[in-house]
Amino acid sequence: MTPDEEWGLIGKVAIVTGGGSAGDGIGNGRAACILLARAGAKVMVVDRDLALAERTVAMIEAEGGTAVAVSYDVTTSAQCEAMVADAMSRWGRLDCLDNNVGIGSRGSVVEETEENWARVMHVNVDTMFLTCKHAIPAMIRSGDGGAIVNISSISALRPRGLTAYSVSKGAVIALTQAMAVDHGPDGIRANCVFPGPVYTPMVYAKGMTEQARETRRKASVLGREGNGWDIGRAVRFLLSDQARFITGQVLGVDGGATLVGPSRAS
Amino acid sequence: MGRLNGKIILISGGARGQGAAEARRCVAEGARVVIGDLLDDAGNALAAELNGAAVYVHQDVTKEADWDAALQAAEAMGGLHGLINNAGIYQPKRLMDTDAELFERHMRVNQLGCFLGMKAVVPLMEKSGGGSIVNISSTAGLRGSPGAIAYSATKWALRGMTKAAAVDLAPRKIRVNSVHPGPIDTDMLKVRTAEENEQRLQFVPMKRMGTADEIASLVVYLLSDESGYVTGAEVAIDGGSTL
Ligand SMILES: NC(=O)c1ccc[n+]([C@@H]2O[C@H](COP(=O)([O-])OP(=O)(O)OC[C@H]3O[C@@H](n4cnc5c(N)ncnc54)[C@H](O)[C@@H]3O)[C@@H](O)[C@H]2O)c1
Ligand SMILES: NC(=O)c1ccc[n+]([C@@H]2O[C@H](COP(=O)([O-])OP(=O)(O)OC[C@H]3O[C@@H](n4cnc5c(N)ncnc54)[C@H](O)[C@@H]3O)[C@@H](O)[C@H]2O)c1
Repeated sequence: MTPDEEWGLIGKVAIVTGGGSAGDGIGNGRAACILLARAGAKVMVVDRDLALAERTVAMIEAEGGTAVAVSYDVTTSAQCEAMVADAMSRWGRLDCLDNNVGIGSRGSVVEETEENWARVMHVNVDTMFLTCKHAIPAMIRSGDGGAIVNISSISALRPRGLTAYSVSKGAVIALTQAMAVDHGPDGIRANCVFPGPVYTPMVYAKGMTEQARETRRKASVLGREGNGWDIGRAVRFLLSDQARFITGQVLGVDGGATLVGPSRAS
Repeated sequence: MGRLNGKIILISGGARGQGAAEARRCVAEGARVVIGDLLDDAGNALAAELNGAAVYVHQDVTKEADWDAALQAAEAMGGLHGLINNAGIYQPKRLMDTDAELFERHMRVNQLGCFLGMKAVVPLMEKSGGGSIVNISSTAGLRGSPGAIAYSATKWALRGMTKAAAVDLAPRKIRVNSVHPGPIDTDMLKVRTAEENEQRLQFVPMKRMGTADEIASLVVYLLSDESGYVTGAEVAIDGGSTL
């Protein structure tokens, strides 16, 4: 496999958080890892569950790409710091970060418990603050600027009863745009991808009825089901040199679902 | 391996500037292109440079008959999979300095031209198995652009038409997205002095102008199957200037 030069990712170093996925499924994080490796990047696949990251790395190595599986829990600052130091000592630089870790929630503010609210905000927002806090200085030290993609969600813009989740994903957009302004002069770009209802292990691993799957598919005006590859391709594009004048953007990969706001059963 | 292998792309206003950069990139990615413009010399020279992979047609985007001619050229090539509605004019004047004639001129080229283009390509794109339309709006279509009311009006219109068309055309497997360039180093910005353009860069977090080739990179993504689940989206490519 010869990587495509035009992405400008050959020899670059990328961290993908939550780069594992249940079983052999293709999640958003795993797809991004595989596509970044195909473009020639060295990929640090980070997952709390090492076995899931190792599966992603096996898929990459089977294609001749370069990747390493590591276990860090990005909910703590110390682990994020260690994760960045690991990439720097292993490969000597850091260029790209895909903040893909995220968990769901269900219920209105009345139904939501304070504990779960705090947990969702912590896992979905604080992790992005913490990884960036440590990654940005390393990117600047690497000398070529850097690119960050934070995974938001259609739920930030079209809420459907997943209130804490919606709020956290809205915060991800504000965080991304603020970082784009703060660090634009350092050559750091920061963008969001917001997936629509895409069929990934995150949503089907615990079981999804055919009917729910069909409702989610139909939320797209294109009438096609989205998947992890669709998200991964958007992430690769935004992390690559192909997007070098794009920063602070919120790219929807949702088959047009935000245009019409149909029912999508969350 | 080209990211647009086998595709045929129509580019309005493609003789120079961003359109020309897009034509070159589309061809480099394995596509063939039909270039429309009013600038025959530049258009013919570009088609010759692209040597076999491009044809130039004289096209005024405000004229339906000219769209028909461009479509015939695409059909002769074998179909149509992409349209870049790129032709545009920018004659910035403040509200009180804008007369009806200047307003209508912008409306005709920037807005009517885009509408006619989207409408004209649908049958051939559908016959070709679907496609992707990219409308070149502007950051002037995302916020209040200073001293350019007529231009702003049309670029906001493009953004709105993009979303409406994305819904209308989805059943025909045609995606429609809008691109919103910030300051891009082309002839269009010669309405201001180099010094004035430099001054405006202080408002750009990335502290520089973009290049036509950078716009082409985004357009290639949106034309390619990589963005197959992206429709009705708007992407600013402006170094962060609208933030
Ligand atoms: N699938 C959808 O429909 C959809 C829609 C909108 C947004 N998203 C977003 O996409 C992202 C996830 O997508 P995915 O398909 O890759 O999910 P996934 O479940 O396949 O993968 C997420 C991985 O993150 C790991 N992880 C969880 N918490 C962690 C932590 N604290 N530290 C390290 N790793 C941790 C998990 O072990 C898991 O392997 C999330 O941000 C989610 O909100 C998904
Ligand atoms: N340069 C910038 O800073 C900037 C910023 C935002 C948006 N844009 C948009 O990008 C697009 C391309 O502009 P550019 O920067 O390459 O400038 P440009 O002036 O070099 O290109 C515009 C092209 O459109 C053609 N054109 C004008 N009227 C036409 C008509 N009636 N029919 C057919 N072709 C016609 C011109 O001949 C020219 O080749 C335009 O839509 C413009 O509004 C430019």
